[in-house]
Amino acid sequence: MALAIEGPTAEQAVLEPVAAIAAADGDDIPGGRSRVMTVVGHVTLALLGLACVFPIYWMYATSLRRPDDVYKTSVLPWPLSVGSYRDALDELDLARLLLNTTMVAALTALGQLLTSILAAYAFAVWNFPLKRLLYLAFVGTWLVPFQVTMLPNYVLLHQLGLLNTLTGVIVPNLVSALGVLLLRQHFDSFPKELLEAARIDGRSSWSTLWTVVVPNLRAALSALAILLFVNAWNEYFWPAMVLQRDNSVLQLGINSFLNSTEVEAWGPLTAAAGLACLPIFALYLALQRQVINGFVRSGLR
Amino acid sequence: MSRITVENVTRRYGGAKAVDGVSLDIADGEFLVLLGPSGCGKSTLLRAIAGLLAPSEGRILVDGRDVTDIPARGRDLAMVFQSYALYPHLTVARNIGFPLRARRVRRADVRRRVAEVAEILDLSALLDRRPRELSGGQRQRVALGRALVRDPGAFLMDEPLSNLDAQLRTATRTEITELHRRLGRTFIYVTHDQVEAMTMATRVAVLNRGRLEQIGSPTEVYDQPASAFVAAFLGSPPMNLLDAELVTRDGQLHAVAPQVDVPLGIRVAAAGAPRDGGDPAAGRAIQLGIRPEHLLVTSATGGTGSTDSTDSGSAHETGPAVLRGTIRTVENLGSEEIAHCVIGATEVRVRARRPAGLTAGDAIALSARPEHTHLFDRDSGRRLVWQSDQPVSVPPARVPVTT
Ligand SMILES: Nc1ncnc2c1ncn2[C@@H]1O[C@H](COP(=O)(O)OP(=O)(O)OP(=O)(O)O)[C@@H](O)[C@H]1O
Ligand SMILES: [Mg+2]
Repeated sequence: MALAIEGPTAEQAVLEPVAAIAAADGDDIPGGRSRVMTVVGHVTLALLGLACVFPIYWMYATSLRRPDDVYKTSVLPWPLSVGSYRDALDELDLARLLLNTTMVAALTALGQLLTSILAAYAFAVWNFPLKRLLYLAFVGTWLVPFQVTMLPNYVLLHQLGLLNTLTGVIVPNLVSALGVLLLRQHFDSFPKELLEAARIDGRSSWSTLWTVVVPNLRAALSALAILLFVNAWNEYFWPAMVLQRDNSVLQLGINSFLNSTEVEAWGPLTAAAGLACLPIFALYLALQRQVINGFVRSGLR
Repeated sequence: MSRITVENVTRRYGGAKAVDGVSLDIADGEFLVLLGPSGCGKSTLLRAIAGLLAPSEGRILVDGRDVTDIPARGRDLAMVFQSYALYPHLTVARNIGFPLRARRVRRADVRRRVAEVAEILDLSALLDRRPRELSGGQRQRVALGRALVRDPGAFLMDEPLSNLDAQLRTATRTEITELHRRLGRTFIYVTHDQVEAMTMATRVAVLNRGRLEQIGSPTEVYDQPASAFVAAFLGSPPMNLLDAELVTRDGQLHAVAPQVDVPLGIRVAAAGAPRDGGDPAAGRAIQLGIRPEHLLVTSATGGTGSTDSTDSGSAHETGPAVLRGTIRTVENLGSEEIAHCVIGATEVRVRARRPAGLTAGDAIALSARPEHTHLFDRDSGRRLVWQSDQPVSVPPARVPVTT
């Protein structure tokens, strides 16, 4: 007599992996879309990307042609020349313009970010009378066209003696309804239990904002900061009004190539524009991950 | 050191009352479990105690001091959240140290306390990780650590184990009980899990639709449920409740319904006492409650016709059959089995040690000892107790709310 093991032996118990392999071998890619669709999608995206990149490429290509070749349409700028850049630098005090523009854009974006954080936090976390109405009014200002507020603001700046100053460019733009709108979405979806935990742990509402909320929404805040910075950087009309007599920001300087000379100086213009784009590119490169995180996901968890 | 008193607290949301006039007196060092089904207002009550929301009415006192209008951080209470609410951007060490840093404790002291707490909770190896790099159980311990580090007067916990798997839950349950014994602090613990309530609590407060149904030791709420709700909420399976009427026969009170005739072991009407030619309890509509483990199988036979015939010697001990019906299904739980029987219009569950030889479709006869029967008023659901000459509903006011 021997003791026998009941039930299936080891050999029989081995699972058969065939079925799993067969399933993975099908024509379909996980996610349910066929290969054809994927190819079509990728091609479409590639074409769109190309269409976006082309003008930028053309700007740099033109700026690198010899001054005589500016109107040529060959795809590759050959022979290369930095003549346009030299002209642009001769014509404009580019260093000063860059510094001024950077300051205006950075201060505007920073101010807008700060006010947006405070306003959005209040709207998302606090309950107070007339909250809905106030919020609607806030968002409503976003819908008011620039042209409506332009003149009153201009008159006000005149009375305050701030025309032709950078302060005059920055101060009226210190609050961004768009920023409040976007941030409130993020603050609303911030886990309420975390805020409550911070309250129990002894934080005031103010320090909860800076020690819990802001560090956890870094991605969203970076994305918004870049958006605001680029907006302020590209701002043309308002600086043009405030700084009439003084080409002190880049966008106005670039424009001077179109107006000041009889012949339109495309070479130096594209060169200056190309230089104006570089800080933005640098910013994107540095914060790319945060930007994508901020726009694609809520950025938490 | 915290004695927590809740006085008549009501919390309204719109017109609905999430918590409705609840009063509790929680002694220092007690482990009070707030128990109730989902949506009964447990979390709302706990958050009112914590200071995270203001009660619409009523007061909350800690050690006799009225803290109703004092913000959460001034109450010397720590809370563990169901979702743990760990700060995702901070390491474990900084998560645990957070409450101390918020109170501007010196850095060296923070480090020392964090190390101590990490030692207690076996987290020392994980101090540099982020919450997202931890397992559920580890996160739970970090949340406990963050509460422990401040050495608060009382701990509030909102379903802290509900995100853990069954095995871990049992282990953590023991750990928390152990912690309570060692610290001697007041614990208020919210759960809808009666096993947690029975095993951990020194006292259980059962809530139903925002109202306090009963408060007492786990044994009290299980053995003498103050209402049909508590009876039906505790126990798995919970107490059987059958609609019945009171009838007096041979000077004995019986609960009677189709296929049910249960002597209650209550002698009524010493000769001459009945007024109006009958006794006042007769015909009263009640609910009869018997726990599944207190129902004894006197006979279970295949085929038709249940009989009293004693085919097993056990009938002697179990007394005469008082409920008759048929077995609908039998659940095998390993050590015992649960038979679902149809008796009259109701389904009755019987718990019996395996093997009990019960088969679906069989007729069954059951008996119950009088001391294992519970009576509830059918309208109010309150427990009925026998007093001198007639059953009297226990008025809600008599439900003890203090110790
Ligand atoms: N902010 C709120 N607004 C409106 N009603 C609420 C709010 N919070 C809770 N309630 C209501 O109050 C009642 C009690 O909620 P509470 O969260 O206290 O239940 P609970 O006992 O903790 O339930 P669970 O076991 O599911 O956590 C519920 O009916 C709920 O719908
Ligand atoms: Mg809850």
